[in-house]
Amino acid sequence: MRVLMLGWEYPPHISGGLGTACEGLTRALARQGVEIDFIVPHLFGKEDAPHMRLIDPSVLAKEVGVAGPGPVANFPRQGTSESSEQTAIRFIERLVAKTVSPGSPEAEKAASPTEAVTEEADGRIRFLRVPSFLSPYLGVPPDTVIRKRDNLFRRHPARQRFAPDGTPLAPTPEDVFVQQLETVEERLPPLIRAMLPETLDEGPAADHYSDLFGEVGRFTARVMALAQDRNYDVIHAHDWMTFPAAIALKALTGLPLILHVHSLEYDRSGHGANWQIEQIEKEGIAAADTVIAVSYYTRSSISQRHGTSLDKIEVVHNGVYSKDTVDSYRRERDWPSKIVLFLGRVTFQKGPDYFVEAAARVVPHVPDVLFVMAGSGDMLPRMMDRVNELGIGKNFLFTGFLKGPEVEKMFSMADCYVMPSVSEPFGLTALEAISFNAPVIISRQSGVSEVLSHALKVNFWDVDQLANLIVSVLQYPELAQDISIMAGEEVRRLRWDAAASKSIEVYGKTLARFS
Amino acid sequence: MPSVCFYFQVHQPFRLKHYPFFNIGKDHKYFDDEKNATIMRKVARKCYLPTNRAMLRLIDRFEGKFRISYAVTGVAIEQMRDYSPEVLDSFVALAKTGCVEFVGETYYHSLSGVYDEPEFRDQVSKHGKLMKKYFNQSPTVFRNTELIYNDRVGEIVASLGYKGMIAEGADDILGWRSPNFVYESSTPGFKLLLKNYRLSDDIAFRFSNRAWPEFPLTAPKFANWVHRISGNGETLNLFMDYETFGEHQWESTGIFEFLDHLPAEIMKHSDWDFRTPSEVLERHQPVAPISFGRTVSWADVDRDLTAWQGNHMQKSALAQIYEIGKEVRSRNNPAALDLWRKLQTSDHFYYMCTKWMADGDVHAYFSPYGSPYEAFINFMNVLTDFRQSVLNLRARKEATA
Repeated sequence: MRVLMLGWEYPPHISGGLGTACEGLTRALARQGVEIDFIVPHLFGKEDAPHMRLIDPSVLAKEVGVAGPGPVANFPRQGTSESSEQTAIRFIERLVAKTVSPGSPEAEKAASPTEAVTEEADGRIRFLRVPSFLSPYLGVPPDTVIRKRDNLFRRHPARQRFAPDGTPLAPTPEDVFVQQLETVEERLPPLIRAMLPETLDEGPAADHYSDLFGEVGRFTARVMALAQDRNYDVIHAHDWMTFPAAIALKALTGLPLILHVHSLEYDRSGHGANWQIEQIEKEGIAAADTVIAVSYYTRSSISQRHGTSLDKIEVVHNGVYSKDTVDSYRRERDWPSKIVLFLGRVTFQKGPDYFVEAAARVVPHVPDVLFVMAGSGDMLPRMMDRVNELGIGKNFLFTGFLKGPEVEKMFSMADCYVMPSVSEPFGLTALEAISFNAPVIISRQSGVSEVLSHALKVNFWDVDQLANLIVSVLQYPELAQDISIMAGEEVRRLRWDAAASKSIEVYGKTLARFS
Repeated sequence: MPSVCFYFQVHQPFRLKHYPFFNIGKDHKYFDDEKNATIMRKVARKCYLPTNRAMLRLIDRFEGKFRISYAVTGVAIEQMRDYSPEVLDSFVALAKTGCVEFVGETYYHSLSGVYDEPEFRDQVSKHGKLMKKYFNQSPTVFRNTELIYNDRVGEIVASLGYKGMIAEGADDILGWRSPNFVYESSTPGFKLLLKNYRLSDDIAFRFSNRAWPEFPLTAPKFANWVHRISGNGETLNLFMDYETFGEHQWESTGIFEFLDHLPAEIMKHSDWDFRTPSEVLERHQPVAPISFGRTVSWADVDRDLTAWQGNHMQKSALAQIYEIGKEVRSRNNPAALDLWRKLQTSDHFYYMCTKWMADGDVHAYFSPYGSPYEAFINFMNVLTDFRQSVLNLRARKEATA
C-alpha cells in the first residue's frame, strides 16, 4: 500500500494537535507496512521521520532561488533517473524564468549560492531554507480577502514547439504535464482556483495572518507540480489547509481521496467561523471518496455542517504516542500549592471562560489553590479582565504560550488538568496530561471523552459541577490517585496501532468501492 | 433424599442524591427520595409483585411441597413500606404459607461483618426483630451481605445463636469437594450451605444469553441437570438475586414460564423435593469440616471483596465511615445512627469499583452514577457533611496520597 499523504505541520514545529496526530498515525502505519510520502508546506530540519518520505514542496521553488528567509527543511533526493520531482522542478524553473526579470534584485539573489544549503552525511537528504510556517489555528482576521489571481497555468501555457524548419514538434513530457495541469485547474472549484498563486516565487507575506489563504494556494500549486507520480494507491489529506491540494491531486491523478478531519472550522471558531474555510471544507468533503473523523462527535458535526451522508464518514480515534509518556517529567509536583491547569488556545472553542468561572467558585473553599491558564488566543484579554472582576487574581496565573519542554514541565506540575472545551473534535492534550499523571476533567463535548473512561466528565456549561469536581480532586487524594492510575493504564491501551489498523481498513474499503 | 434449596436476595439501597461539595454544611438531606421511590416501584412492577404472585401460586399448586427462602434487607423493607406497600403485603402473604423461610441478614446490607464487629451484631439483631415483626419468624440461618464469609464471620454469627450460614461455593475453597452437601464451619456445630454457582448462574446470568450453547434453557433441561446430582449430593443450593425474575431477565425472556414449570419438572424424579435452608440443615449432617482461609463473596469472578474495597477510594471511604462508629453509637441519637448506617450500605462502595473498567469488560450493572469517581465524590461530600454538621466533628485530617 502506497499512500500520498498531505499534512500541514510535523513535529517538532507544531501549533496544535494536528502535527502530533500525523506523527503518531504515520509511524504506526509504517510499522504495518504502509509506504508513505508525506508532503508538508515547510520542513525545519529537526523532523525525525525515518519511517516515511517527508517532502517539502516549497524547496522546489527554493531550488531555483526564490524562497524567502526561513528555517531549514529536508528534501530527500531520489535516484538519477528523471523523477516527477525533477520534472516539476524544471516546470517551475520555467515559470520562474518568466516572472523574475533578469537583472532584478530577486534574480540576483536567486542566482547567488545560498549558504543555507547543507547536505547530510549520506547525501540522501539536503537541507534548504524555506519560508517559515503559518498556523492555521491562530485565527484568520475577518477582513482577509482572497486576492483574485490570474490563473497560474494559463498565463504560462505549454506552447506548440516548432523545429527550425517550421515543422511542429511532438510535445515533451513537460508539455504534456503542463497541459494536464491546465485542464485540472479548470476543473477545480472557483474558490480554490482563485487561491492559486500567480507564481510559485511568493514567500510568505510580512503579515502572516493575511496570507494564510495565499499559503494554502501556494501549497496547492506546489503539490500539483510535485505529485505527477501515479504510483500511489490513495491520497490521504489532513484538515482543510490541505484540501485544495487534495482536490487538485484527485483531479490530476484520479486516485481515491480520503480526507481526515481533525477539526472543523466550526469547532475552532463557532459562530465566528470563516466562510471561506468552511467552503473549502465543504468542497473537500464533497470531492472525497471517504472522510475520516477523529471522533463520533466530529463525525456528526461534519454531517450536520456539510450535509454529508454518515455512510461516507468513518471514525478513527487518535492514539497516544509512546514518546509522550516521559518518565523523567512524571510527578514533579514541587509547587507549594495545588495547581489546576488549563492548557490550550484561549479561544471560544476551548471554553476558557468556564474555567475562570469555575475557579471563582473553587477559590473560597480551597484558599491556597493556583489556577494556571497556559496558552494564548483572542479571548485572553477578556479572561484577564474577568479574573480581575472576580477578584481571584491572587489565585490565577496566565503564562502565555508555552513551548515543548515548558509544556511538559507544566503538565508535570499540575494536580488537575481541566479541558472545558465547548467543542473539541478530539482533545489530545487530555491524553498528554494523563501521561504526566494528572487527573483530568474533560467536557462531555469532546471526542476524547468517547475513548476515555477514567476521567471526570462534565457538560462544559455546568460550571457548578466543574467546580465541584475540581474541589473534589484537590480535597480527596484517593480520587486523584485512582484516576491517574487507571487513566494511565487506559491511555497505554490507546495505541496509534489501532488507529493505523482502522485507517488501513478505510483504505481497503475505499479502494473496493473505487474499483 | 436430595432437595433443591432456593434462596433469593431481596435488597434495595437508599441511593444518595447529587450532593456537590458546596452543599457541605448547608444541606443535611442525603437521599434521593424520588429516584428511590421510582426504582422501588419499577422493580415492584417488573419483579417483586409478579414473582411473588408466581411463588404463591406454586406453593398453592404443590400443597406445601414447593418451598423457598429469602433474605430481605431492612433497607429494602423500609422502601417497600414507604413506596410500594403492596410488595410488603405480598411477602407477608408468602410468610403465612409456612413454606417460606426468611433468613437473617444485616439490616443495612453493610460490610460491618468485616469492619466493625459490635456494629455487625447490632445490625443483625435489628434485622432479626424486623423479620419477627413483619413475617413472624426468628431467623435461624444467616446469610451475610453478598455472601461475604470467612471463618471469623462464621464464629460471630454462631455466637449470635444461628445454626448455620449460607456462603459461596468458591472453587478454591471447595477444591475437589462438591457444594451439594452440608459442611461444618471452623466453629464446631455451625453448619454451612454452599452455593452451587454453576447451576445458580445458569438461571441468574445465562438464562437469556443467546451466545450460550445451552440457550434456550428450559425447565426440563434444567431439571435433567439437577437430577444428575442424584446419589452424589444432598442439597442443591440455588442462590440468586430475586431481581433475576423480571428485572435482570426480563419477562419477555420466558423466565416466568421457566419458573412456573421448574418445580413440577424437578419433582418428576421422586427422590427430589424442595427444602428451605433450616430444613436442609436439620435433615443432613455435615459431611466434613471446611475452613475458609480467605474472605469469600459471590461477587464477580474474583469471589472476594475487591468489588467493594479494591481501590484507594473504596478503602478510604470504608475506613472513614467505620472510624466514626464508636462516636456515632455513643451519641444516643437514633436519627444520626440511622443516617450513618444507611451510608454503610455496601452498594455505595460497589458503585466506586473501578476494576471492571480496567478489564475493559462491559460489566453492565446498575449504578446511579456516571462513573465510579463521581460515586466516590458524592459519597465523600455526604460523609464530610455528616461528620461536620451532624456530629460536629472537626474536619478530618487530610489523608495522604
